[in-house]
Amino acid sequence: MSSRLPPAALSLKQFLQRQKVLAVYRNMFRTIRQVPDEADRKYLKDWAREEFKRNKNATNQDVIRMMIKQASNHLEELQKSLALAKS
Amino acid sequence: MAARVLQQCVRSLARPSLGLFPVNLALRAAVAPAVTVHRPFSFAADSRRMRWLGQSRISSVELLCRQYGDLPPLTLETIKDRVMYVLKLYDKINPEKIQATSHFMKDLGLDSLDQVEIIMAMEDEFGFEIPDAEAEKLMTPEEIVQYIADKKDVYE
Repeated sequence: MSSRLPPAALSLKQFLQRQKVLAVYRNMFRTIRQVPDEADRKYLKDWAREEFKRNKNATNQDVIRMMIKQASNHLEELQKSLALAKS
Repeated sequence: MAARVLQQCVRSLARPSLGLFPVNLALRAAVAPAVTVHRPFSFAADSRRMRWLGQSRISSVELLCRQYGDLPPLTLETIKDRVMYVLKLYDKINPEKIQATSHFMKDLGLDSLDQVEIIMAMEDEFGFEIPDAEAEKLMTPEEIVQYIADKKDVYE
């Protein structure tokens, strides 16, 4: 999942997966924005950044798909906790 | 009682120096005591009020002008300054090397995750959301400024 375009262009599936990863990353940040505490927000942002950067160089499509699913689960959990905290 | 107050107010309206605002104030203030206080007291209050109306020459134009709150208007210059300021605060960018035309990936060596973060910082700064499809095309500060000027209808 290297984000600098390699000499050989990405195949369609890889391109779509890349878009999905970026979408999850973006939604993660949008959700983190709603966290009330400033220190918590910073911690969550750093955590998200670390996780994504660590797996940046994975190339196996199934592994990437698994990681996207994991990230989406984390995101859902975060959204549910936020909804609970607000009510 | 109310009729007398109205008479006085109509007479004061005829005077050119008085605006609408002090007349309304007198009307409103007069109606309240007229209900609760009995005759002699309110009569004295009325004459005092009429003297006050006669003495003060409030400019009616100022009072008729309403004041709303709003942000200062955006210009291309201010947008560019704010964009560059936010970029300089980003820790992965070297503040000296950044220019309006430096490409995030080719010149500054950032990757797409960093670009997502930068666009989110811009969303925070300017207070409106940038959809995914358009966000991933913005690769230089110049393009960001153009996009924001587009969305906010800033022309020069």
